[in-house]
Amino acid sequence: MSVSPGSAAPAGAPLRVVIAEDTVLLREGLRRVLTDAGLDVAGTAGDAAELISLVAALRPDVVLADIRMPPTQTTEGLQAALEIRRRWPGTAVIVLSQHVETEHLFELLADEPRGIGYVLKERVAEIAQFTDAIRRVAAGESVIDPQIVSRLVARPRRDSPLGGLSERELAVLALMAEGRSNHAIAAALYMSPKTVETHVGNMFSKLGLLPAAEDHRRVLAVLTYLRR
Amino acid sequence: MSRRLRAALIAVAATAVGCFVWSGRPWSAPYLPFFVSTAVIGLAFLAAGIAAWQRWPASRLGLLFSVVGYAYLVPYTIINLPGSFAFTIANLTENVSGAALAHLALAWPSGRLRSRFERRVVIAEYAWNLGITGVSMLAWNPSFSGCNASCPANLLLIRSSRSVWDGINAASIPGSLALTGIVLALIVRHWRSARGWSRRVMTPLLWISVAVIAESSAKDILSNLNLGISNSFFFNGIAPLVVLAGPALVIADTVRVRSARGALGTAVVDLEPGASPGRLRDALARALGDSTLQLAFRLPDGSGYLDTSGQAVEVARPGPGRAVTPVADAGVAVLVHDAGLEHEPQLVRMTAAAAGLALEHSRLQAEVQAQLEQVRASRARIVEAGDAERRRLERDLHDGAQQRLVTLSLALGMARDRASGADPELEALIESAGKEAREALTELRELARGIHPAVLTETGLTGAIQALVERSPVATTITAVPDERFPAAIEATAYFVVCEALANVAKHARAGGAQLSIRRLPGRLVVEVSDDGTGGARPDGGSGLRGLADRVASVGGVLRVDSPPGGGTRLEADLPCP
Repeated sequence: MSVSPGSAAPAGAPLRVVIAEDTVLLREGLRRVLTDAGLDVAGTAGDAAELISLVAALRPDVVLADIRMPPTQTTEGLQAALEIRRRWPGTAVIVLSQHVETEHLFELLADEPRGIGYVLKERVAEIAQFTDAIRRVAAGESVIDPQIVSRLVARPRRDSPLGGLSERELAVLALMAEGRSNHAIAAALYMSPKTVETHVGNMFSKLGLLPAAEDHRRVLAVLTYLRR
Repeated sequence: MSRRLRAALIAVAATAVGCFVWSGRPWSAPYLPFFVSTAVIGLAFLAAGIAAWQRWPASRLGLLFSVVGYAYLVPYTIINLPGSFAFTIANLTENVSGAALAHLALAWPSGRLRSRFERRVVIAEYAWNLGITGVSMLAWNPSFSGCNASCPANLLLIRSSRSVWDGINAASIPGSLALTGIVLALIVRHWRSARGWSRRVMTPLLWISVAVIAESSAKDILSNLNLGISNSFFFNGIAPLVVLAGPALVIADTVRVRSARGALGTAVVDLEPGASPGRLRDALARALGDSTLQLAFRLPDGSGYLDTSGQAVEVARPGPGRAVTPVADAGVAVLVHDAGLEHEPQLVRMTAAAAGLALEHSRLQAEVQAQLEQVRASRARIVEAGDAERRRLERDLHDGAQQRLVTLSLALGMARDRASGADPELEALIESAGKEAREALTELRELARGIHPAVLTETGLTGAIQALVERSPVATTITAVPDERFPAAIEATAYFVVCEALANVAKHARAGGAQLSIRRLPGRLVVEVSDDGTGGARPDGGSGLRGLADRVASVGGVLRVDSPPGGGTRLEADLPCP
C-alpha cells in the first residue's frame, strides 16, 4: 500500500483516485499517466483486501480496479468494487477486465449503474479517452466499453424491432448503451441535441421500452434489451 | 446300458412270454382276473426295477423291485408246469410277494435297510410267509381251492382236512397283522424323520403302503370269514392293482428327475446376469426339489461358511440328515442339502456344476464391471486433467502475455503523447505499434477464451452460456439455464456441448435460428440444442459429433442426435448430476 503525502482533498482540487492492480509495472504506469493527466493518485493497492482498507482510509472519488487479482485470480476486483459501492455509495468505480463477456458487467450494474465503469483493460493505452472515462464516472455517468456494446448491437436477431432501426438510430442506441448523455451523443454524431432526443424517443417506442429520465437508468434498460 | 441290465431285460421278456403262454391253459373263471392282474403287477415291478437300476446303478433298489416282480410272477408261471413239484413250490411261494413288498418299502428310498431290527423284521416277514403257508399246506387238498381232479398233487400233504386248513389260516391272521403293523409303524417313523427331499419321496410311499396293507389285510380277513366276497372279480382282479402305485412312483420320479435336469439348465440360464446368490439358491432348490438347500460361501479369512441368508454353516458337521457337496474346486462355495439326495449323485453333481458355472459367470461379470469402471474413471480423470491444464494455460496467458501487452500498450500510449507535436513521423510510428499491440491483445483474448472460458469457472453455466449465445453468428434463444453451480466436469461438459452444437449450427446447418435449454432433472442435467436448419447430421460424421459423444461419455452421460434430412437438428446431452 502506498499513500501519497498531502492527499486530503480540498474543494475544487483534482479528482482523487485509488488504483488496484497486481502487476507492478502496469500499476506504476497507470499512476504516472493519471498524474500526468492532472489526477491525484491518492494510493495504489496490489490486491482486493489492500484496496478495501485504502478506500476506507482515503475515501477517494474514483476507484480503478483490475477484475482479476490475487489470491484466486478470478473476480476479486469485481467483489471489492461491489463492496465499496455498498459501504461508500458515493464512490465511483471503474472495473478493468480482459473479458468481453457481459456476465460480470451486469453483476456490477445491477444495483446502481450510476458512477460505474466497465472497460476492457487495453483502453488504458488510449490515455485521453481513459482519463475522460474516469472524469465521467466521477461525475455520475456510466461508462461501458464500446467494444462490448458493439458486439451486443451486432448480434444476429430474428424478428427483432432492432432490424427496423436506421443506421443513424443504431449509432445513437450504441452510444446510449455506452453511457453517453444526449449532449455527448449529439457532439459525437454531429447532430443537434434536439434531433438526438427525437431519435431516442422514436427508438424507445419502437423497442417497447419505457423512456428513462436519467442517463444511467437508460444504460441499464438498453443493455438489458440488447442482451436478451 | 450295462450287461447286467441287458440280462435283466432278457429275463423279463422271457418270464413275460412264459407267463402269458402258460396262463392260456383252461382255468376256472374265478381265477382268470387274478392271474391277469398278478401278471400286470409283476411286469410293472420288473419294469420299475430296470428303471431303478438305470438310475441308481449302485443301489439295491433295482434288485428289490425285480425281486417283488418275480415274487408275483414266478408262482403263477410255474404253477402251470406239469408235475407236482412245480405245483407244490408255486403254492408254497404264493405269498412271498407280500414279504418282498415289505422289504422294498422298508428299504425305500436308498435300497438299504436302516437297522438290524429292520433286517430282523424283514427276515421274520419272509419266514412267516413261507412258514405259515407251508404248515397250512400239510392239510391242504387242492380241491379246497376249487381245483378239480386235473390238478397235480400237493407233495406236502399229510392228511387232507378242510377244518384244519381253515383253522391254521384263521390262526395266522393275528400274527400276520402284527407283523404288518410293525412294518407300517417303521414306515411311518421313516416318514416322520424325513425332511426336504427325503420327506418328498417318503410321502407317496407311506400312502401306497397304507393302501396296499389295507387291501391285502381286508382280503385275508374276508377270505377267512368265507363270505364269498373275497373271490369276487373286484378282490381278485381290481383291488390288487393298487400296488401298481409303487412302480408308477419310480417311473414318475425318473421322469421328474429327467425334467429336473432340464429345469437345472433353465434355472441357471434364466438367472439374469449378476443375480444375487439368494436368487441362485432359489433356482437351484427348485431344480433339485430340495427346499432346504443351502448355498454357503467360505469367508475370506477361511474361518467358516455363511449361507445366502447370512447364517453361519458348519460345513464339517452339517447336522443330521444333511450332506455337503462342494461347488467349486477351491472350496469357495458348498451346497448343503438333504442327505437323502446322496441317492441322486448325478443330479447333485449337475446342480453343483450349474452353481459353479453361475458363480463363475457372476465373478467374471463383476470383474468386467470393475474393469469397465476403472476405464471409465481413468477416462474421466484424463478429461479432467485436460480441463485443469486448459485452465492453467488460460491463467498463464492472462497473467503473463496479456498483462505484458497491456503494459506495453500503456507505455506506447505514453510515448506517443510525449512525441505528440514534436515529431509527427515518430508519433505515427508509435501509434501503429500501439495498434498492433491492441490487435495482439484482442487475438490473445480470443485464444485464451477458446482454451478455457474463465467466465465458466467464475460464474458457472449462466454467464458462460450467455456469452456463447452473444457471440453465436446464428440467432439463438435460451429457454432455460439453471442458476446454480454443478461439479466442474459437468459444467465443462455442458459448456462444451453447447459450444460445439452452436459451432455446428453456424457451420453446417444453414439455420435461421437455434434454441437451447439446460434443464435440471433429478440426478441429471439435460442440455438440449436444436435448430431449424437442413438436418442430416450424422453422429459418426466429421462434424465433431463423435468427439462430443466421447466428451459426454467421459462423465458417464449420453448424447442423442436427432437430425432427419430437412427437419433441423436436435442434440441432447443427458449428463449424470448428483
